[in-house]
Amino acid sequence: MKKYKTLYINLMFISALVLSTSCSDDFLDEKLTTAYTKDYYKTEAGIQALAVGTYYQSFALEFALEVPLTATQSGTDEFHAGGDPSNHIWNSYASGLNSFVTVSNANTVAANTNWDNLYVAIGNANQLIESATAIVSNNDAIKKRALGEGYFLRAFNYLKLVSQYGGVPLKLDLSTTVEVEFKRATAEEVFTQIIADFTQAYDLLDNAGGSAKITKDAAAHYLAKAYLSRASEINDSWNSATKTADLQKVVTLSDEVIAHHPLAPNYVDLWNFTAPDGANEKLSEIILAGQFNSSQLNTGSNWQHLYFLSTYDQLPEMKRNLAGGRPFSRLAPTYFTYDVFDKINDSRFWKSFQTKSIVNNKSTGSDYVNGDLGIIYIMNAPSDTRFAKTKNTNYLIPGGVKKIPSVYVQYAADNVGLMADVRFPSLSKYMDGSRIDLTSQRGSRDIILARSADTYLIAAEAKVRLAKQGAATFADALPYINAVRNRGAYKAGENRAAYADGSAAWTAAGQAGIPISYIPQNSYYESNNIAATTAATNLNITSISALPAEDMAVITKLGYGSDYDRMLCLVLNERTRELCGEFHRWQDLSRTKTLVARAKAYNIEAALNVQDFHVLRPIPQTFLDGIYANGRPLTAAEKDAMQNPGY
Amino acid sequence: MKNKFCLLLVLAMITFLNVSAYAQSKVIKGVIKDASGLPIPGANVLIKGTQKGTSSDMDGSYTISVSSGSVLIYSFLGFKNEEITVRESAVYNVVLKEDNNSLEEVVVVGYGVRKKKDLTGSIVSVSSEVIDSRPVQNAVQAMQGKAAGVDISSNERPGTVGKVTIRGSRSISASNSPLYVVDGVPINNSKPLAGALGKSVTDVSDSNAGGIDFLNPNDIESIDVLKDASATAIYGSRGANGVIIVTTKKGKNGKFTLNYSTALTTEEINENAPMMSAGEYIDFRRWARYYSNPSAFPKGDAPTIANDELIFLKSADPSAWANIAKGWEGGTWDGSKVATTDWAKFVTRTGITQQHTVAVSGGTEKMKGYGSFGYTGNTGVLKGQSFKRYNGVANVDITATDWFSMGANLNTSYSINEYGQSNIGRSAVSSTTGIYNSARLNLPYAVPYDSNGNRIDNPGGDNTIRTVIDEDKYSQDQRVTVRAFGSFYSQVDLGKLIPVLDGLKYRLNFGPDLTSYRNGVFLDARSAARSGTSFASLIKAQTISYTLDNLLFYNKTFRKHDLGFTFLQSKTGYQYEDSMMAANDVKNPENKWNALTPSNVTLSNYSTNIIESGLLSYMGRVTYGYDNKYLLTASGRYDGASQLADGKKWDFFPSASLAWNMNQESFLSDVSWIDQLKLRVGFGVTGNAAVDPYSTQPPLAGIVYPNGSGLVNNATLGNPDLGWEKTKQINYGIDFSFANSRISGTLEYYTSDTTDLLLRRSVPTPTGYRDTFENVGETEGEGVELTLNTVNVKAKDFEWSSNLSFSYQQSSIVALANGKFDDINNNLFIGQPQNVLYGYKSNGIWKPEDATEMAKFNANGAGFSFGNARPQDQNGDYKIDANNDRVIIGSADPKYIVGLTNTFRYKNVELSVFVYGRMGYLYNTSGENSGAKGSQRSIDYYTDNNTNAEYQKPIYSAGTGDSFFPILGYRDGDFLKIRNISLGYNFTNEMAEKAGVSKLRLYFQVMNPGMIYNKVKWMDFDTQSTASNRGFTLGLNVEL
Repeated sequence: MKKYKTLYINLMFISALVLSTSCSDDFLDEKLTTAYTKDYYKTEAGIQALAVGTYYQSFALEFALEVPLTATQSGTDEFHAGGDPSNHIWNSYASGLNSFVTVSNANTVAANTNWDNLYVAIGNANQLIESATAIVSNNDAIKKRALGEGYFLRAFNYLKLVSQYGGVPLKLDLSTTVEVEFKRATAEEVFTQIIADFTQAYDLLDNAGGSAKITKDAAAHYLAKAYLSRASEINDSWNSATKTADLQKVVTLSDEVIAHHPLAPNYVDLWNFTAPDGANEKLSEIILAGQFNSSQLNTGSNWQHLYFLSTYDQLPEMKRNLAGGRPFSRLAPTYFTYDVFDKINDSRFWKSFQTKSIVNNKSTGSDYVNGDLGIIYIMNAPSDTRFAKTKNTNYLIPGGVKKIPSVYVQYAADNVGLMADVRFPSLSKYMDGSRIDLTSQRGSRDIILARSADTYLIAAEAKVRLAKQGAATFADALPYINAVRNRGAYKAGENRAAYADGSAAWTAAGQAGIPISYIPQNSYYESNNIAATTAATNLNITSISALPAEDMAVITKLGYGSDYDRMLCLVLNERTRELCGEFHRWQDLSRTKTLVARAKAYNIEAALNVQDFHVLRPIPQTFLDGIYANGRPLTAAEKDAMQNPGY
Repeated sequence: MKNKFCLLLVLAMITFLNVSAYAQSKVIKGVIKDASGLPIPGANVLIKGTQKGTSSDMDGSYTISVSSGSVLIYSFLGFKNEEITVRESAVYNVVLKEDNNSLEEVVVVGYGVRKKKDLTGSIVSVSSEVIDSRPVQNAVQAMQGKAAGVDISSNERPGTVGKVTIRGSRSISASNSPLYVVDGVPINNSKPLAGALGKSVTDVSDSNAGGIDFLNPNDIESIDVLKDASATAIYGSRGANGVIIVTTKKGKNGKFTLNYSTALTTEEINENAPMMSAGEYIDFRRWARYYSNPSAFPKGDAPTIANDELIFLKSADPSAWANIAKGWEGGTWDGSKVATTDWAKFVTRTGITQQHTVAVSGGTEKMKGYGSFGYTGNTGVLKGQSFKRYNGVANVDITATDWFSMGANLNTSYSINEYGQSNIGRSAVSSTTGIYNSARLNLPYAVPYDSNGNRIDNPGGDNTIRTVIDEDKYSQDQRVTVRAFGSFYSQVDLGKLIPVLDGLKYRLNFGPDLTSYRNGVFLDARSAARSGTSFASLIKAQTISYTLDNLLFYNKTFRKHDLGFTFLQSKTGYQYEDSMMAANDVKNPENKWNALTPSNVTLSNYSTNIIESGLLSYMGRVTYGYDNKYLLTASGRYDGASQLADGKKWDFFPSASLAWNMNQESFLSDVSWIDQLKLRVGFGVTGNAAVDPYSTQPPLAGIVYPNGSGLVNNATLGNPDLGWEKTKQINYGIDFSFANSRISGTLEYYTSDTTDLLLRRSVPTPTGYRDTFENVGETEGEGVELTLNTVNVKAKDFEWSSNLSFSYQQSSIVALANGKFDDINNNLFIGQPQNVLYGYKSNGIWKPEDATEMAKFNANGAGFSFGNARPQDQNGDYKIDANNDRVIIGSADPKYIVGLTNTFRYKNVELSVFVYGRMGYLYNTSGENSGAKGSQRSIDYYTDNNTNAEYQKPIYSAGTGDSFFPILGYRDGDFLKIRNISLGYNFTNEMAEKAGVSKLRLYFQVMNPGMIYNKVKWMDFDTQSTASNRGFTLGLNVEL
């Protein structure tokens, strides 16, 4: 017995020892097996994956919320406040637009959202440049492309930053430890960097991959845009040395891009979305597009279909439906936008706005049936005397056959106008019927970031500016402008009452049995009150002294006299006609220092508050609160000093 | 039943008789009774110096054969031992005296037990009597207000628990959750689900009690809370936030019992913040429209039908308009004619909770066992919410030889939590915290059904407001948890094997802990959380963790010296795995989440994940006592954690504490009214590594872009230097017991100092990152805790006793990332507590008499108008700006926490009243947005006719009308609440016996009868919502 006891004890100690020693050090080694660490960036596959991720960060992320809207469309001459106030502060420039943006609800874009997103994207671009530089690879298709994409993406985001905030901290490498000491570089330093980076991208990249990939042409387009921005009025205090050369480079680069990217034959081709990744997303005109498709598994999705819609569903005989869209009603067009088009001869207005919807919720006891016209917007001329009231219910329009539940008139004798109420023709460029149900926010349309019509107008503006420098004539700008105008004119035989938008992509399943409100028809004839015709129209401008009447109205209202001002005004007007709602406007007005005058003239809410200092955005308070100078946080006075003036 | 039980006893006794049969002896017998003359069944009778003995039967009788001259020891828990020497007589009747001295009680201190009088650290205990005194669904609820220094918030959703903090929050980003130890094994209380659900799901229970809520409170013998660092340092790296040690019930030597307890609770929701009536709301929106655009809308007190048709969306919901039209019958407006729809009533019901526990226990010298089966069934007060839990416990301890013993304890539970309306898969516009909140979003003038009796999907015609009619049928979120927790040990008394090693024991503990979790969500297309399509998701998660301890104990007493050593080597492994899949548009509602197949749906999301972590520890402890007067405990623990950076994984956590039992000194030996007076002082260092695994090497974030899958840097910057957060604490305590234990308690004061705080810190984004984990700065805190038990009145049939637990705590930040600089972005300020409210301070509301002041602000571009909230201009420049006018408004951490139980006992009737309160803090109620597009609780709001209002004027908006409205929301959160009143009746033994049982207790209880004090009447700061449950319980305890 005693022997066994000793044996037991020994066994026990041995087992205890075994158990203890089994706890060797590698027990505490942390192995991350479910995800990659930065070591992966040392491989070719790793940098390619990082490039794709940075594409997402730069081209897709922001389109799932309202940053594109608030940064580039709110508070301009193109759009004013719609029905929903979530982000009205960005439109009105009221006192709540500050280093903290006054939050109205969960959708309100904070002061730091855009800033932070852009810098995080720059961080990834820096990582891409660093990793693609370090990688040992003889495969130019991978190494040179990744490097080129890295430089492009960094410059792309810095261009947005400098356009919004002016000079910003210039960070060209990736932090490995917490850094808190940051200073704002000058706008000049930031532009120098942007141009250097785009130039590198231009040199490194080729033209493979189409609009889904960053190409040499995309680099050329944005390089032109960067040169044009540097040569714009907002930088006039320091840009004189580079101005002429910059503008000449804009023209050269633009010509190169234009040659590779012919315009789509019909303006509506760009917007006629019938299926994710359909024909309209593969047009030669498109230089670069943020990619979206119908996969529910994508990290990003395009929500821009929500924001420009009028609340059609609150009107009598109407209800919300997939084809009609989910109207967030953030922004409504201004009378500048309505009137800058020649609505008889320029097809682009009718191809950009929805002016008719059909009854889809016939109420009991009414004379309507589903499919009758339910809403019509009469986009008439000021000289039209047919209408007494702006808002008409159950109204038979002159020459009509049946009453229409809701009739809104742009120019009526009561002079109320379409900006008094929250009903307006909706910008239809983002309408998306491919969503899974009527409340789904996940849209699957690509977002066009750059197309050659924009390049034409960049070149045109450069010519106007060169003319001012004495290096060209103002008339040199006309061929570029006319190229996009002529495309927007009606072709012979074209049905002017035809309308198409992305609603056509709707499926019966997603519609869930709810009747649709979409009709492929516009109010061209009801509005213009002319006889039906299929003749071609002509929008060609033949002389700088014979500018279109719509442009003359703006020039007169804004009080421009010099050729330069008149021609720049024409270019900016043409940009609205061609690129309305395509997320360029605020930068265009800010850099040309026309924001205040134009917002005061056309944006009723902004007019009350907009001031010169609003050409730059407030530096986010979170940045000012988070950084140090000389080893300590900034004082209130130092924060005030670092803030853009006026905020 | 009773007969079988007796038979069992007899069998047990025969066993004993057989064992002792060979002793040459005589048979004696007798009856063991207590002071009142009642027999004590199950009392032990032991022959001194042997292991031989017996126990008394149901009548207190015993029989034993002994040799003359032997000494018999009679013992029974809760009574003083009695010794009798056997002489001539054959009958020895014994009266055992009750042992009122709680100082002999044993307290679990971590890796061992100590008598209460020998404690040197700060430990507070909650006994099973306290736990059983009121019906609770889990152990966390049972502790609430019963232990000074332990703050537990209330969470009334079925199957969820409140948040537990011990001695306040010290850490900022690391966990403030205490460590839970069940039967010697630390249990895994990591938050599961983080992986599968990602950040999109906000309603995953973020309480930190995860772990002991799975236990049936009836199975708990005691809960000991280790508070100060000298006590918790024994758990080293995991002791920083206190340790809660749960000991489950075990069989007792010689006493076989069968217990049944049951309780039936009914509850109703008690709302403190009623919604506006239809008439009130209509006025409210009219004013809001007027203030949003005075030129387009008439004043709220001058309504027109045409205007009402517009602002109440006549065309969108004719049924709601028909209701409003009633107010216009007769041509002038009469709001009282409009019927008010009480939407809450469509989602509420009487909640019913049933609890049943059957437990058996018993034991002999060699073997003890306990088994129980418990059931809790709770039908929530909100439709669609319910909770069911089944518990099964089995444990057995066997002393196989005098040198070897072994025990196994298995605690299992199976629970089904119907979470009700889910936020997983929500696609509707308005987000809510659940079905009740969804109901309160509906408009009072809108009606649920149209004239044809059909459900109106958007009552009132607003697309963002969805009906809650039948929501409980259209929304399901079912969470099923199966948990098995084991605690196994074997112990060798080496002294029994090798005499020279007397006092040395070796023990091996093994504690596996397995959890399986399944979350199924199905939202019908008609759910208020959806619109248009249905949604289904399935999440499965599994957690496996284990603890393996090797322990050596050495205890030796020589003369007046008591010496003890404990050595530990321990290893803990944790592995979490989950998988998730989700899909939109599940065509057949019967499929729920069970048919996510390629032929049915296209998945909208899926993922799998694994998280692993490990902890290694070495610990040594020495205890020394001299003459029961001077007591010393010192320990050191060396811990290594996998989630910390290489080279920073290991750290050392020492502690030491001293106690002086003054009452043992000769100079106090004459003072008869002092039963105990003990002074204690302790010092300890504890650690906290409770950051998520992989924080030193954040994984790259995966991206799915139509071009292909991609990667971006994690927005959290990895910190390769991440190390331990450490807390040093000094604790001073006095334990006292006076006047024959009429007054007893503990008074403690502590200071704590936490360094190398683990902080998830936001960083300037030009770095390329949004935040990082860092060891930064330091916080210090101090606190006072008082536990006071008094017997206020003690008469023959009547007793009044009180139990008070009071704590005061105060903490402040000493330094942060870069020294003594405030960190505004992370809301941390030097010299302030961790949770402060920072921003613009309220100066009330702009009133017409303030016109000149207001004009000065507006001249600087402010845009104020009368009835707007008025922020304070701190620097007097007539400009409200972030750089100069934001200030610290107050602390959101309660300074005082009080729990008071008064118990009145008259004969067999016992009445107890439990009061709970938190005081000394500000609570941010967020203000009232008053956009008047959605529903509104009844408030006093500004209008032209009511300028002296509490809240700003309404301005119609889909968001908020007034940009500064939140500043009106800071409120004094003090409250003192009667949690429950309990009335119990203990049947006398005679009466019980007539019923065929040995003990019978019946009780009745009122829960949440009301507030004694609260400044803000419309909030219940205990539940931190406007509503709390109020109800009644009827309960019964039976012991055979």
